[in-house]
Amino acid sequence: MSQNRLSPLVTVLLLIGAAIMLMPMLWTLLLSFKSNAALMADSGSAFMPPWTLENYAAIFQGSLTTRWLVNSLIVSTGATIGVLVLSSLAGYGFARLEFPFRRTLFVIVLLGLAVPEQAVILPRHQLFAMLGLHNSYPGLILPSLTGSFGVFFMTQYFRAIPPELDEAALLDGASRFTLFWKVLLPLTWPAQATLGVFTFLGSWNDYWWPLISATTSDYFTLTVGLASAQMNYAQTSGLGFLMAQAVFASIPILVVYIAFQKQIVSAMAGTAVR
Amino acid sequence: MRRLVALALAALLAGCSAPDDRPTIVVQRFFGECGAVYGNSTDVAKAETECGILTTLINRFEAENPDIRVKVNVVAWPGYPQLAAQMAAGDPPDLVTMHQSVISDYSSRGLIEPVEPLLTEAKIDPATFTPAARAGVEKQGKLYGMPWDTIGRLFHINTELMAQAGLMRDGKPVLPNSPEELLAQARQFKARTGKPYLIQAQVSAPDFTVAFLYTYLLAQDAPIFPDARHIKLDTPQARAIVTLMRQIDAEGLTTTNQDFPAATAAFTQGKGGIFPVGTWMLGPYDAEAARQGSPIKGHYAVAPFPRLWGTAAPFVDGHAWVVPAAKRSPQERAAMARFLAFLSHYNLDWSRTGQLPAFAAVLAKPEFRGLPHREDIAALSRTGKQLPGYVERQSAVQGLIGEELEAAITGTKPVDQALKDAERRVNQLYAQMM
Repeated sequence: MSQNRLSPLVTVLLLIGAAIMLMPMLWTLLLSFKSNAALMADSGSAFMPPWTLENYAAIFQGSLTTRWLVNSLIVSTGATIGVLVLSSLAGYGFARLEFPFRRTLFVIVLLGLAVPEQAVILPRHQLFAMLGLHNSYPGLILPSLTGSFGVFFMTQYFRAIPPELDEAALLDGASRFTLFWKVLLPLTWPAQATLGVFTFLGSWNDYWWPLISATTSDYFTLTVGLASAQMNYAQTSGLGFLMAQAVFASIPILVVYIAFQKQIVSAMAGTAVR
Repeated sequence: MRRLVALALAALLAGCSAPDDRPTIVVQRFFGECGAVYGNSTDVAKAETECGILTTLINRFEAENPDIRVKVNVVAWPGYPQLAAQMAAGDPPDLVTMHQSVISDYSSRGLIEPVEPLLTEAKIDPATFTPAARAGVEKQGKLYGMPWDTIGRLFHINTELMAQAGLMRDGKPVLPNSPEELLAQARQFKARTGKPYLIQAQVSAPDFTVAFLYTYLLAQDAPIFPDARHIKLDTPQARAIVTLMRQIDAEGLTTTNQDFPAATAAFTQGKGGIFPVGTWMLGPYDAEAARQGSPIKGHYAVAPFPRLWGTAAPFVDGHAWVVPAAKRSPQERAAMARFLAFLSHYNLDWSRTGQLPAFAAVLAKPEFRGLPHREDIAALSRTGKQLPGYVERQSAVQGLIGEELEAAITGTKPVDQALKDAERRVNQLYAQMM
């Protein structure tokens, strides 16, 4: 127990680091409770009353804000479910099944990790235009499903599960699907949770693809919608509203993080893959 | 169960409606979303801010033209990534707000249409545009948009501090007529007030310094863009301008290390004499100058950039309504023409935002002249200069020049070297363009 206790010096250094990281968030929160006019005159007024909720009220008064919130939930949830299903199946296949060109295919998947989204955005945009998928939920969800990270992550996790479990299940007469569904998949819960959280966060925060795929307000996600709602020179004459938008957009992320912090921390520490 | 099915059918039928066969126009704009305040407003005279006035105008158009369906897309500023994506997907909107300096990027590739036929149908005579506004939409002899305003840079002036510095005469600020006078006045200002003469945004605000450079290059008739693929910045004229900017910084005659929001706030807090920024701050600063307790209460004036070299030729830009190239029915084109005619009728209301009107007749109206400070800045519509119509990629170009100017002004790089590097980098960019 005593071995885990941090020395006072380390504790102080960590506290200082945490304070530095928290500072911008606290500053954002503080600014969001001040009127735009007060902040334009002096952003230092954020430390003094009066504070106000008018910036948050303005967000909800925006005619389409609720719709953008629902769009973001649909897109992020859809992307998360899709990635979990596809990555689990592909991961199981790569880790446990023998089929022609398995290694080659896996290398191709790994190569996908090295290709930045920017490199494929033009052909993808044209493909989606040909298929008529822009300004639709599938158009916003489908690109997330092609990520290589999930497949790689689940493959590694399945590989770490002892193969003796497969042999025992097959001896007991289980089919391949039963083995996958009832024996192995439940064991991957920590990895599923980690992958799910990261996919949800990534999809929620995505700005670029929704910006160019959803070009009508009805299909904006929250990130794009809130950006469109900003008036010109928002950073000077609309600072309070801008900060309230930032806080509002991050609330669902905060909820997801609090709910799944154990999985996120274990993923960050590299312990999700055994 | 039957009841449930009946209810579902009833709901389904209730959701059905007769097909809407009205011509539809898709209007895409930036300026933000303000439906909460102006969602149902049709009283244009009472609307405020760019977003409020435009939202109200569109509401009113819909109310007065029930035979036309208007679909509005509010896009994140400046909206060009989305527009490019829509064009690539073959589904562009019908009318789009666009900065005049950006028009050539689209017109040169045939992505937007010349609008003369629409203007004729709307009974808008291009001869009624102000010179600055017309120059902004005229590319290679054709009009590629209906100008909506002219945006210029102004000296926003704290008259209380100027009076302390002895730089007021007959209630008007005394502005310099040469670089030497500017330095002398700035030194006098600092000596008497203890504050910097200029407030400037020098961090992450490339357009701020570039506007200063362009203005005084245009004033000297220096060939900035000799052709569509080259820039010329390694010139004696450019060296003189940037050397002045460096001198101002080196002598502490300006605020330093401020970004745009910080500089904006610094002016309202009375931390310096002059903030050289755009027409768009006229409204907010005028309101601030009327507010009890404000450090600039009753002490605010504006003026176009002073003539330091050559002639008065401030660099200006503006907003315009452009038409992406697409197949449209005659009914849709007629609806678009009516929309443009309607907007042109309300150009005076738009000028309440602080931007200058695009129509000469509006500029001459007593209602416009009666707006605060407009008498002082109206000349911009006549003297304001746009870049040549063939100049493209201004957003990227200004970013590159701005980086080099920032280095030169703060002394990180010698002025000569910065101008050479800016010229080389911009020409490289143009060489890579298809």
